[in-house]
Amino acid sequence: MLDEPARILIAAALCWINFVAIDVFFRLPESGGVCGATAIAEEVEKGGGNLHGGFMLGNIVSSPDASAGTLLASCGVYCAGLPGGLFAALLVYIGNRICYDPGYAGTTGAITATFLVYGMTQIGFAASDFIAGMVIAILTIQGISHARSSRLIGRLWEIKVRLLGGGQ
Amino acid sequence: MIAIYLCAAIAVYAALRIITERNTMRKLPFLNVISFAVTAIIALLIPHPLTILAAAAFFVGSTFESNAIASTWSGGMKRNG
Repeated sequence: MLDEPARILIAAALCWINFVAIDVFFRLPESGGVCGATAIAEEVEKGGGNLHGGFMLGNIVSSPDASAGTLLASCGVYCAGLPGGLFAALLVYIGNRICYDPGYAGTTGAITATFLVYGMTQIGFAASDFIAGMVIAILTIQGISHARSSRLIGRLWEIKVRLLGGGQ
Repeated sequence: MIAIYLCAAIAVYAALRIITERNTMRKLPFLNVISFAVTAIIALLIPHPLTILAAAAFFVGSTFESNAIASTWSGGMKRNG
């Protein structure tokens, strides 16, 4: 069994992959969902970042997306096991509708994270590792360097468009 | 136990970044990090099934506030025509 810091770092990597993959797949970097998200993207671009990465940063700020889904599903599994995680997915769905978000990235992220976290708790991880891991994962995207993180997301978005289509 | 201190440290770090960032729109992603950290701390402090409701209510509420601040600051309805 691993120590808690090592488990938190592995959980952070898994949460990061879960939410970035789902957000990019659900086309969050394509455009701003609300005008506030577009304005954040423009400011990030002015600060040396990528516009598409900025759209994703803005959309994460403006509506509960897959990152919020991953965090709340981890909290749900921590507090009430598998049903708690699925209940969290329902709450994220309601949150999306409250924030005028027509997408399903948050709900999908919450459901996949519920099964991911529940599965990992069966092999020695704790749900609290995933709660802290998700906070580290969002820190890397939203809290260190907007220019660098937006350029990274912009590159992932280009790869997604090239492989699966869906961009302009 | 490390998890909760880590979340608290990240929240304090994000608060310092908000203070030092001059551009209002670029403050909002840091505010988002604080919302994540506080939601995590709520859940880690109170391991009760109803906590998930409190954590989700806090998180969705703070996201909605950020949404309102960003949309108003960027010109709101006027921007959309």
